[in-house]
Amino acid sequence: MPRIIACYKWVVDEAYIRTDSSPELDLEYADKKMSDYDRNAIEAAMQLHEKYGGSVAAITVGHPDDTKGVKDALSRGPEKAYFINDPSFENLEPAQTAAILADVVTAKTEYDLIICGEGSSDLYAQQVGPRLAELLDIPCVTMVSKIELAGEQLIAERKVDDGIETVSLSLPALLTVLPDINSPRIPGLRDTLAASKKPVIEIVKDELSGDFTPCLQVLASFKANMERNGQKLSDEAADIALLLDTLQSKGIIARGVK
Amino acid sequence: MAGIWIFAEDYEHNLELIQGGKELAQKLAGKIVVILPYNSGNDEKAHDCIARGADEVLYLPPLTEDGDFMACIPLIVAEALQEKPDIFLIGSSLRGKELAARIAARLNTGLCSDCISLKPSNDNQSLIMERLIFGGAAVQRVAIPTRPQMATIPPRLFFPAAVQEGRTGNIRELPPAPPSKVKILGKKTRTHESAALTEARILLCAGRGVEKEEDLSLVRELADLLGAEIGCTRPISDEMHWLPEECCIGLSGIQVKPELYIGIGVSGQIQHITGIRDARIICSINNDENAPIFAVSDYAIQGDLYKVLPLMIEGLKKSK
Repeated sequence: MPRIIACYKWVVDEAYIRTDSSPELDLEYADKKMSDYDRNAIEAAMQLHEKYGGSVAAITVGHPDDTKGVKDALSRGPEKAYFINDPSFENLEPAQTAAILADVVTAKTEYDLIICGEGSSDLYAQQVGPRLAELLDIPCVTMVSKIELAGEQLIAERKVDDGIETVSLSLPALLTVLPDINSPRIPGLRDTLAASKKPVIEIVKDELSGDFTPCLQVLASFKANMERNGQKLSDEAADIALLLDTLQSKGIIARGVK
Repeated sequence: MAGIWIFAEDYEHNLELIQGGKELAQKLAGKIVVILPYNSGNDEKAHDCIARGADEVLYLPPLTEDGDFMACIPLIVAEALQEKPDIFLIGSSLRGKELAARIAARLNTGLCSDCISLKPSNDNQSLIMERLIFGGAAVQRVAIPTRPQMATIPPRLFFPAAVQEGRTGNIRELPPAPPSKVKILGKKTRTHESAALTEARILLCAGRGVEKEEDLSLVRELADLLGAEIGCTRPISDEMHWLPEECCIGLSGIQVKPELYIGIGVSGQIQHITGIRDARIICSINNDENAPIFAVSDYAIQGDLYKVLPLMIEGLKKSK
């Protein structure tokens, strides 16, 4: 009966980043959301729970105001949540997040399996999962698209650059999952109501016992300029003919195609 | 200075990182150390790396058939603790990124993932690096106060290092690896669709604007006329399953650099745009005038793709 911990991050929704020409990255009015791949992580934990029993807890590190994220996570099925928070726990770099999670997981939880998303939708550094596994000294498999349990053994399929590998490992272990592992269910009203009754274990900075100095300094953040001087065209025959002619005269497409 | 370490799963990628290391070494000084997989007594690649700029080659130990090369992490970490490299560049393959994060955790150092730009700071004491965040909508400029300064580097950020005459260097083997905790039971090697897409000169991309699976035949007909490859956005592969997952273009899929990209009914979510930002020419067809892809397009066709594709096909057939 696996005791599973699903890690999630409550992130700024990148859809609120305006693609205008100013270089300034203004996130003041941006809404937050569950990091995309962490929906898959929680769903993967819930599907294993439904198949093999055991328990699922959610865990996160963030700002004390991120309580909406805790509710969101719980509405997706976990029976309880660990909410590690401090005003200084915003904009952490991956080494800090992994160290804080490792500290709490070791001191306050019992687990057989930890599941993370393959990366977060804000930073997408893809470090917290594998770093956490190293700090806990447990085996780790990243980019997982399928999970099966057989007692203490776990069989997983993982994506590598030239294919899919099937691997086996013993619990306790940590996995990071791909978006194609499942289609996360959308919480309904009942799930949302149930979520507010579930236990939330709050952990504040004073309860932690580590050194969480950043290993990565952010010098600047600015909007990526990807705009091009687009020529507007219609779907009329004359415009399409003009486009083909332009591309041909630039040597992009051959004049006598094939 | 204690040197620049390099590791990439793919040999060509490794040669690119040697070039990156050489460029940095001009300013930051230090020897270039390349880590290579075990190669049973054939030192051809090691000598090639030395000829292209490596001062030392470290072989990883041989692995058992079901062994995972992550078992080598303790050896690399032990060696790094002893040799104290200043910089450690790792090729950003999927496994490379896992390896880098795990080594960084063991060395308690910082790691810049998917670094798209790196240069020495003004005082030549450290690296200034850039990476994309928020699905590619923004850039983060970072520095690493701890050592080694680690970064994962995507393919083709540097040209492969050239061979120089008369170079010499050391070749060494690391001690045996502890047994692997992860056993590889089997592998399905993928068809080369994703390789074809990353290499494609002309690339067509099908998005949600394509209404039915059979309509892809229209896209295929145009692709055949142009000698183009076909990719897709995430909904087409993950939700509709019309094309395999490895055809999915975007930040978490494949990143492409064609001469010409044509988005067919692609709205242009930021994660997708990031995957095509290095295309030379971006052309897009969409019936929504507010589609975000238009802002990043060189040619923005606002209209019905079911009208545009036949016109293109007809036009190309005529010019034959």
